[in-house]
Amino acid sequence: MNVPLSYYLILSAIVFTTGVVGVLIRRNIIIILLSIELMLNATNINFVAFSYYLQNIAGQVFVFFALTVAAAEVAVGLAIIIALYRTKASINVDDFQLLKW
Amino acid sequence: MTFNLTLSGSDLLLLLPEMVLTAWLCVVLTVDFVMPRLPKDRLAYLSVGGLGVVLATLVWFELEGITGTLFAHMFVVDRMALFFKIFIVGATLLVILVSMDYVRRFRFFRGEYYFLVLMSALGMMFMASANDLLSVFITLEFSTFGFYVLVAYLRDDVASNEAGLKFFILGVFAAGLLAYGISLVFGETGKLVFSDLARAEPTPGLIIGYLLIFAALGFKIGAVPFHSWIPDTYHGAPTPVTAFLSIAPKGAAFAILLRMLFVSLATLKPVWALLLVFASILSMTYGNIVAIAQRNIKRLLAYSGIAQIGNILIGLAAGTKMGSDAILFYLLTYLFSNLGAFAIVVAVGNLINSDEIEDYNGLNRRSPFMAFAMLVFLLSLAGVPPLAGFIGKLYIFLAAINEGLYTLIVVGLINIVISMYYYLVVVKKMYINEPADPSPLRISAPMKAVVYAGLAGTLVLGIYPQPFIDWVVAATLMFSNLPGPAASMPPAILPFGG
Repeated sequence: MNVPLSYYLILSAIVFTTGVVGVLIRRNIIIILLSIELMLNATNINFVAFSYYLQNIAGQVFVFFALTVAAAEVAVGLAIIIALYRTKASINVDDFQLLKW
Repeated sequence: MTFNLTLSGSDLLLLLPEMVLTAWLCVVLTVDFVMPRLPKDRLAYLSVGGLGVVLATLVWFELEGITGTLFAHMFVVDRMALFFKIFIVGATLLVILVSMDYVRRFRFFRGEYYFLVLMSALGMMFMASANDLLSVFITLEFSTFGFYVLVAYLRDDVASNEAGLKFFILGVFAAGLLAYGISLVFGETGKLVFSDLARAEPTPGLIIGYLLIFAALGFKIGAVPFHSWIPDTYHGAPTPVTAFLSIAPKGAAFAILLRMLFVSLATLKPVWALLLVFASILSMTYGNIVAIAQRNIKRLLAYSGIAQIGNILIGLAAGTKMGSDAILFYLLTYLFSNLGAFAIVVAVGNLINSDEIEDYNGLNRRSPFMAFAMLVFLLSLAGVPPLAGFIGKLYIFLAAINEGLYTLIVVGLINIVISMYYYLVVVKKMYINEPADPSPLRISAPMKAVVYAGLAGTLVLGIYPQPFIDWVVAATLMFSNLPGPAASMPPAILPFGG
């Protein structure tokens, strides 16, 4: 059974939009981080689907790098969040309003 | 498509500067680890020495004309890549010298600071060589990871943490947009290398993909409407990191923008030129108007930086060989003026522990040298002859006039007047107002070296720009087949051109 390419693209578009909306409306930093992961995983779905349909390995190579980048991102991001939590005891973005003009 | 990874010696030669820097940053990290009692100043000098070696290899490449591509055209070494690498390594070198006094303030991880600065520089060197969308994504993230950590480096300072958080969330969000955009472009064309993308027909998917990619690159350079992270991040970050962030990544991102717009998208020039005109007008106007209201010198320089990016976008909007020359030259002038101004801000901040513009009152009484240097740097940023900024702006405007972008020029000229106002407010405070505390301030030796380098660069580029103009014209020869007048700088128009 062969799933049409458009199914994958619609799925990835939905996942990506969920991620973007999540970043924009959620206030918990961990949820924002999760939403960003969704955005990157939508990219991976796209790449694997395109790679299969175009018979081009470059897409799958990109997925490996995107996974690596996502992992590194979480490592750095969680470190920053822990540092913040130590000073402010909060992970709600609304509590970080110090810098304003 | 297969990746041929058999490397010969001559291929590896192209990677020599990066390999030297990689080895060196391992050395810096190891030395810091095995000799914990070593004064951290030594680590700074060790890093500067390594960067000096990298700079020497780059200059050797430049003089010998060593160019080529690697890894199925993913990595390219050409004159433009070499220009940007020299730019980045030079900026990193000066930033490390600027950081030395500041690093003593850190309670933890003083040695790792230099390692992270070098690592970001390495990422940016790869950015200058990125020649396909995969390497754009990886190198952009590689260079930004170091910055996420550096911005949040003052672990006990809420402002620094908050700046790090904002920078991180927006930066990673931009990375998500970039990756998704790349996936759409890949899906529509099946290609990733810039020159292969040039022949693609504009389909809706391709256009959305490119828009997402340019939104992400807009985040990197901080052009309006993607500027929201700039003021907060610049304000909260440790000041030397702010200086680094305001120059080196901008240069590297412009290398990518130039390659993408001028190589992959040359045929769609009318479309992107129009978008860039809007981005440029918005960046200049927004940056300059909001800068007037600032009380903190770092925020002032952040908004002035947004406006300067708007100026550089004029050259990109012109979309010609001359426009690309002007961008490279403008970045050089920006390097010296902006880094010089930040060096003074770091020096003053170290001595009086404040970044408020009010505290610059009467700086001339307290340290005539620093006040004079700041005056020169601010006037250069404003574009006053005979300083570097003037030639930079003139060059950019000439490139735009050749393309008939008169609206952009008018807005640019009005903005010069606005920017003059807030730069001169700082100058007035330094020279006319009375200091609250008239005790003299003494600037340290490494800082003084950077300020002298900035002054020398600002004056030489302003008074005798010809060799540098020849350099940037040679660096962008690859763009000489672009549509539009492929002009080099007409020397007669330059009043101070040797």
